[in-house]
Amino acid sequence: MGFAEFTKTAVRNLFSKPATKNYPKVKKEFFENARGHVIFDETDCIYCSLCARKCPADAIKVDRNAKTWSIVRAGCVQCSNCVDACPKKCLSMGPEYTPVMTEKGCETYARVPDNTEDN
Amino acid sequence: MSRRSIVPFGPQHPVLPEPIHLDLVLEDERVVEAIPSIGFVHRGLEKLVEKREYTEYVYVAERICGICSFQHGSGYCQAVEAIMNVEIPPRAEFLRTIWAELSRMHSHLLWLGLLADAFGFESLFMQCWRLRERVLDIFEMTTGGRVIFSVCKVGGVRRDISSDDMKRIITVLDTIVADLKDFERVFFDNNTVKSRLCGVGVLSKEKILELGAVGPVARGSGIKLDMRKLGYAAYDKIPQVEPIIETAGDCYARCLVRLRELYQSVEIIKAAASTMPEGEISVKVTGNPNGEFFSRVEQPRGEASYYVRGNGTKFLERFRVRTPTFANLGALLATLPGCDLADVPMLVLTIDPCISCTER
Amino acid sequence: MSFIKKSPWIIHYDGTSCNGCDIETLACLTPLYDVERLGVVNTGNPKHADILLVTGSVNEQSAPVLWQIYNQMANPKVVVAIGICALSGGVFKECYNVKGGVDTVLPVDVYVPGCAARPEAIIDGVAKACEILQQKLDHEREKKRTRKAVKNNG
Repeated sequence: MGFAEFTKTAVRNLFSKPATKNYPKVKKEFFENARGHVIFDETDCIYCSLCARKCPADAIKVDRNAKTWSIVRAGCVQCSNCVDACPKKCLSMGPEYTPVMTEKGCETYARVPDNTEDN
Repeated sequence: MSRRSIVPFGPQHPVLPEPIHLDLVLEDERVVEAIPSIGFVHRGLEKLVEKREYTEYVYVAERICGICSFQHGSGYCQAVEAIMNVEIPPRAEFLRTIWAELSRMHSHLLWLGLLADAFGFESLFMQCWRLRERVLDIFEMTTGGRVIFSVCKVGGVRRDISSDDMKRIITVLDTIVADLKDFERVFFDNNTVKSRLCGVGVLSKEKILELGAVGPVARGSGIKLDMRKLGYAAYDKIPQVEPIIETAGDCYARCLVRLRELYQSVEIIKAAASTMPEGEISVKVTGNPNGEFFSRVEQPRGEASYYVRGNGTKFLERFRVRTPTFANLGALLATLPGCDLADVPMLVLTIDPCISCTER
Repeated sequence: MSFIKKSPWIIHYDGTSCNGCDIETLACLTPLYDVERLGVVNTGNPKHADILLVTGSVNEQSAPVLWQIYNQMANPKVVVAIGICALSGGVFKECYNVKGGVDTVLPVDVYVPGCAARPEAIIDGVAKACEILQQKLDHEREKKRTRKAVKNNG
């Protein structure tokens, strides 16, 4: 029968550096290929809507005629299936997550560069 | 004459991590009967298979449960691959094995922590979860996700582990083993821990066979039941896969099984890393599945079986998953009558319930 | 910590989550993230709590449970939806038994995206919830003051 088995661990924890990340003060360092959010680069996009069809959560909408690409950030599950599906490689994954929101919106990227609007 | 009363337990309860409702019929402080009612987490994702293409459904299958998500994904992929006669590259098989064993480690560390919390050892809970974070860091480094990995696909895996990363993983695993060695004695021979666990919730070998329990619950009662022995993925190429059994059948035995499996998982990962061949990680899959298959995988909680039926279109006809907790719920209900009310949270925990798996 | 002025007490309810966001919320309490250093306490009693964290979408059976918890909480209260399932239903939104996000049942103040939401994101969400809690408190005080002034003048 044992006694005070945890002492060693407890004492070591007392004298070692804290394990806690001081998060809001110290920024989080992301791993290079962490899946955080989808980045859309419109320069090469041919609006084939393959990404929208491959999305398991139906978060992406593509309008071929109006040449808009939109994503519901509150619906995207970061599986990066659209990134794999894109034939022109204009989608990629960024490591940071979408910041917290107070209302759900839809982000639309239009064709004309100076007309880009973030709703 | 003792008085009968009914205590409702859950769905929102401080000691319950997940919503399940139990009506506990008590005689004074002793439980005489437990009536479960489930359905709080039922989503109906098996029906979703008719609306999603079979290649996309992997991402839904993964989200059956966030703790054993990798095994759910790979179990589904295995079934579809078997229907379509797809031979996945050997490197993908080894990568699947490595990720599966890492998820087992993360799940068991999580469970040991929750158990420590249930018997009131707060600092042990914190220590276990602190170790677990290192496993999660490995996941984020290799797969990109901390909990849901999305690396399994029909025809292989989506990401590779470079040899540098593999070396780093082995060093991290060594530090985990070193730290675990420090406090494993708390589980093995601490007086307070033993007094809470020994002789509580005893299930005999015959009872387990009768109830059809699986996984660590069955292995804790001395039944050699481990689906890894079927040799799916790369388990047939690794000699370390031997089911770990204890014979006492109480909470303590189930705890020891899981603790020893942690070390076994490290051994398996090391063996897989040293024998992993180079090469492709996925093959292109064309056509649609037509036929049916049952695949079985060993999850951290026990055996899970997946039934997939395709009809030649890109939408599957039927998907069915039998999860380990569903099989173990019978064992839980068998242990509850006769125990004290204060032991209920711990008995619920020792079968390692995963309600979202069970209800899908 | 300057960005959280109050010590918010939180209550966590697991809707139909896959456990992913659930264990990440629990991981916030453990050494690596340790939200208790910010004064955040996880309580099991809805009457003690200021902030309700909900993970996972809502189905027919969990909606009334969620309502009961919400109604028991004292005013002002803030609801934080954690994870894509709680936001919109995610991959499960077309399932027959899923009603959709938490906002189909409760008024949600803060949305924390992610599948599964990272602990850092959850900490951010709780910090945002504290801001909103403070705003609601100020608003209520203001209302009380004007009511008093109207009463005195009338």
